[in-house]
Amino acid sequence: MEMDRESGKLEQIVSQFRSKILHVILDSRVPSLHRQQQESLSLSRVRKTDKWFNLVLGDRPPALENLNFSLRNLLDPMVIDIILIRHGSCSSSVDNLYAPSAAAAGPSTETVIERWVVQYDCPRVFATPSGADAAVFYKKIYKKCILLLRSLYSQMRLLPAYRICRQLSLLSQTYNFDLVYKVSSFSHPFSREEEDGMKEYSFTPVEALPGCLCVSVTYRATLSDFNLEPLVSLPPKIITDYVGSPTTDPMRSFPSSKTGAHATSFPSTGLRPPSSAPFQRPHSWSSGFHRGFPPTKTQSLAGSPPAYCTSRKPYDITSPPTDLYGNRIQNHRVSTLQQATAYDEYKLSPPFSTSASPSTPTYLSGANPLLTRHCSETAPVTIPLTGRSTRYLSSNSSDPNRHSLPPLSPRSSKHDASSQESPSGIRSYRKIEGLRAGESPSGLSNLYSAPKVVRDSKDDSGRFSGLLSSSGSPRIGFSRSSSRLSFQDDIDDCEFSCPFDVDDVDVSDSSSRNTESKRASEFTAQSNLVGKKSQDAAVGILVHMLRTAPPLRQDSSCYSTHSLKTEYDGGAGVASGFFLPRKTADALEELNSYREMKDLLLSKSATQAVRKEGKK
Amino acid sequence: MNCEVCQLKELEVEHFEIREVLLCILHTIVFHRALGLVRPKDVDLELFEITYVQCGDVELEEKIDEKIDHFISWVEKHPNKKSQICLSFYEVKSKQPSWFTNKTERLYWEQWYVNLNVTQHPKHHSSKSHHTKVIVDPGESATEERSSRRAMVEASLREVLFQIIKFVNEKKDHVPPISEGVIYFPYEITIPSSSDSAFGMDMIKRMLHNGHPTMLS
Repeated sequence: MEMDRESGKLEQIVSQFRSKILHVILDSRVPSLHRQQQESLSLSRVRKTDKWFNLVLGDRPPALENLNFSLRNLLDPMVIDIILIRHGSCSSSVDNLYAPSAAAAGPSTETVIERWVVQYDCPRVFATPSGADAAVFYKKIYKKCILLLRSLYSQMRLLPAYRICRQLSLLSQTYNFDLVYKVSSFSHPFSREEEDGMKEYSFTPVEALPGCLCVSVTYRATLSDFNLEPLVSLPPKIITDYVGSPTTDPMRSFPSSKTGAHATSFPSTGLRPPSSAPFQRPHSWSSGFHRGFPPTKTQSLAGSPPAYCTSRKPYDITSPPTDLYGNRIQNHRVSTLQQATAYDEYKLSPPFSTSASPSTPTYLSGANPLLTRHCSETAPVTIPLTGRSTRYLSSNSSDPNRHSLPPLSPRSSKHDASSQESPSGIRSYRKIEGLRAGESPSGLSNLYSAPKVVRDSKDDSGRFSGLLSSSGSPRIGFSRSSSRLSFQDDIDDCEFSCPFDVDDVDVSDSSSRNTESKRASEFTAQSNLVGKKSQDAAVGILVHMLRTAPPLRQDSSCYSTHSLKTEYDGGAGVASGFFLPRKTADALEELNSYREMKDLLLSKSATQAVRKEGKK
Repeated sequence: MNCEVCQLKELEVEHFEIREVLLCILHTIVFHRALGLVRPKDVDLELFEITYVQCGDVELEEKIDEKIDHFISWVEKHPNKKSQICLSFYEVKSKQPSWFTNKTERLYWEQWYVNLNVTQHPKHHSSKSHHTKVIVDPGESATEERSSRRAMVEASLREVLFQIIKFVNEKKDHVPPISEGVIYFPYEITIPSSSDSAFGMDMIKRMLHNGHPTMLS
């Protein structure tokens, strides 16, 4: 009984001794474990395993437990081989940057540079001491094991392999070699060539009756002939014209002529072009990732750090490009850790801001359920429902708010032709409330300050709806109108303060078109309803009105004919009647402004004529 | 109990290398004699590609630094001389008080002699701060000569460390049992005094305390 207990103690000492030695060796020779050990050593609390042999080593690597289990037979030797793997000779190859551990350019060679053998040698049988002697006996064994472990710990740092492990444990560089280990209960003998370059050292065995613990090491005295060198690390380059977005298809090109589901694919006719620079620059990920985010040319990707792969599709494009909606689409798949890292980088420097136009007001979704489907896709655009003059969507023409068009009306097909046949340049304006000819900031602007209000309840709607239906996507129709109105934006900028001042009537008009007979009584209700509707509808109405509005110097008969048609179509209702006085007043004001301008010009010409005569 | 003595290989060092060499050797010895619960700390030398291990005790580090500072001061006063530092481990034994001895006596069970030959006159005053970095002597203009000499010193230092490890492995029986809660055995670092005669007097005093003749191997 007592002997069993004593033998159990001895077995425990031997087992823990082997585990401790394995821990010391792996921590000093496995780069990842060494790094881990250095980081955790000062922080870790003293564990039970640390107290064995009074040497705190920190957390035991998980592999160690498995190894202990597989080598649980204490009488079997424990052989630990430290193997140096040298990769191909093309150390400057770019491929090696991405796969330094693989034999990218040449076969890899494996060389055992150290072999540690821990063995419980039991050649003879001794009588196990008992009683008080046993305690002293095991204390001596334990003390000698401590001394052996101390010297082993020191010697691990003096052998050549330690420097290699230190180099590899640093993550700042990659090398053309690697260190691996192999633990087994047997070992293949070294060849004569291998033995020539190796030295052997055996620690003084510790008597642990009935046997003795033996630790020896066979190691290469020098590793200079292995040509171990760091891989050439290309310096990171800055991409000066970086264009990156996690939502953009990396394989997509950005020709300016493309339309459709493109971010700002408006025809260039008369439209203030959006910034074409992003579309002319190649995507940065077309040649791989890069760490830096200042915009640079994609050609510099050859200098990308080796941590990134050359995958061309880092992201799973789940929705149209970001700038189309002014929202960055966050959800996308990344297949590798590098891609995930690159995704974080993309978030740092988006090529498209959340709002395509800096002047774009906030989008209000409104209560219109018909427009809810557009809400998630539209850019923030506010359309205050006031009796303001219309304002062209200058920069906003490139905004994705074109999605926020009112729903189709039943008359859309009927008025398709009319919408198409709208003379170019014929636009409808909405006068800004309170803005008179005399109040305009400049005389010239008066020409545009009192536009005819084209209040075409039905036709507008038809045309407006036709605008929607004539094109497969509202975007294109919007772009057409916008193309005609682009120059008007420049003119109106000085006059109109808000790009989306929409007359209440227009908005309400569009909603009341569906029921002609109810116009009179329903207008009020509709106007209130429309007032609450999404501003997107008002934008659409505005656009239509601007399209159908007559030019500034057009034949007034044409304008009035067009407008009167819409006004009196279906009988004059409250809505129509609402516009009549305004139209007349606007016309009068415009006429007055024309007269003033005429007078001014005449006076000037007369003055010039007088001067000329005077000079003569 | 016999006192095991280890005479380490003599090292030829320059003034600015003294600190690093002594730190490496002394801490390595103490680490092998600090048999209590220690959290080893790897320290890289700046002048040589050598990593040695400290036992992580702050008080020990301070005392060793202090002794090294004293030694460097002594070297500055006695340039171009061979010097010796003695690191001794002892046990404290109570003793019957007598006329010539104290109540307690020290039983030295191990002594390490670090032999240094400082070859160059110190041109710069070395700081006594614990955090002083090694002062590189700017007098050497030949880089190749310096590097080759440095390599020789490094190799010699490495040999000394191997010598320590070998000694620790071979001699184990004389080491006293480990006391509970004690990290390292009581030790003493003896540096040369202001005069050689005083150094010899120190040795005689030690002999009187021990009651054993000092064994020189």
